[in-house]
Amino acid sequence: SQPLAGRQAAELQSKVVPSKQILHSDNMEMEPETMETKSVTEYFSKLHMGSLVYSCTSKRKNK
Amino acid sequence: RMEASCLELALEGERLCKAGDCRAGVSFFEAAVQVGTEDLKTLSAIYSQLGNAYFYLHEYAKALEYHHHDLTLARTIGDLLGEAKASGNLGNTLKVLGNFEEAIVCCQRHLDISRELNDKVGEARALYNLGNVYHSKGKNVASAGTHDPGDLPDDVKNALQKAANYYEENLAIVTELGDRAAQGRAFGNLGNTHYLLGNFRSAVLAHEQRLLIAKEFGDTSAERRAYSNLGNAYIFLGEFETASEYYKRTLQLARQLKDRAVEAQACYSLGNTYTLLQDYEKAIDYHLKHLVIAQELNDKIGEGRACWSLGNAYTALGNHDQAIHFAERHLEISREVGDRSGELTARLNLSDLQMVLGLSYSTNASMMSESRAVENTFSGTRPRAGRRHSMENMELMKLTPEKVQNWN
Repeated sequence: SQPLAGRQAAELQSKVVPSKQILHSDNMEMEPETMETKSVTEYFSKLHMGSLVYSCTSKRKNK
Repeated sequence: RMEASCLELALEGERLCKAGDCRAGVSFFEAAVQVGTEDLKTLSAIYSQLGNAYFYLHEYAKALEYHHHDLTLARTIGDLLGEAKASGNLGNTLKVLGNFEEAIVCCQRHLDISRELNDKVGEARALYNLGNVYHSKGKNVASAGTHDPGDLPDDVKNALQKAANYYEENLAIVTELGDRAAQGRAFGNLGNTHYLLGNFRSAVLAHEQRLLIAKEFGDTSAERRAYSNLGNAYIFLGEFETASEYYKRTLQLARQLKDRAVEAQACYSLGNTYTLLQDYEKAIDYHLKHLVIAQELNDKIGEGRACWSLGNAYTALGNHDQAIHFAERHLEISREVGDRSGELTARLNLSDLQMVLGLSYSTNASMMSESRAVENTFSGTRPRAGRRHSMENMELMKLTPEKVQNWN
């Protein structure tokens, strides 16, 4: 059975002929998501600015 | 008095999230909600940030809940821009949860409002989000079957083609706006979409642009992503030498970034590439490196894969003792993690090797029939549990048609 084993060994080696299909690893690297942001700080600084502008203009009007 | 306190808590939450501590930020935002406020715009901002914080913490059910609150609130107070933003965030969250149809509706709403308000930045961002939803949708359907890139059913192809169109539309706007960071993101995902569609040359072109922009920003993570994606595309172009060069750059940066999981992935890719180049010694070298890290990270699936690959490479070199050792280990691990498909492969490999070494034929015959039964019952199923994140999207090694033919 030695020659048979030898032939089988050769066959076995030919079976591991690389294939892109078996080796395919689908590890795609995606880019991150973008989330929309809201901010209390921003909103309040706007409000604050608004009231400052208001108080300045009203002071000016009062003069 | 109460108003100030809600505001203070929210401001602290914002500060913590900006500093990168979302977990702590969440507790401050939740405390702010508990205290409450009559200012609905403030409340909307709190809900939105809570939603985003939970999104980054991967707690998507909670993210969904808060983005939904934000949307309702924005509609109630007639804040159109706020509604657009909430819709976009809700869309992204639904996408991650796999609810693609609702995600599309939400992202479309984000797009429609942005156009209505003539908000170019918002429009571009909505287009990117829509591209992402269609990409995920296509990939999700594709992964339910066993397809290689380029060999796709029509519904998958349609979704991916839509994704590509949205990324192109996004690119036109962000290029006009001169927003390089946004261009980088769009090129990366466009490249991956072309890759799935089997347009490997277009994928390379897009990832090359992505690489250029990553270097401009000194963004090492994005640079590493681009190298890895370029490697994948070159594999399918049959240019294995070029692929190996890109995977080596990936490995270099993974080590620099001290990301062991990514390092393992790069070693695995390199092992496979050297197998394709029929340089089995180098293949073994990289697969062993992958094995060591997989063991270190207690990643059983990765370990099984490494053993399978090592078994193959040693077989190719005619080192049957080592081949049997790793095939047995592969069988052991496949059983341990309940990977029936891996078990089947391991059994077939072992019976082949045992035949070569002149071992019992009857054992082999029973193994073969058992394996076929396993194949018939469990074809197409794939194990999920215990996979390391970086390995999550990896295709399980499939038996090639020619290999199966050889056996029959």
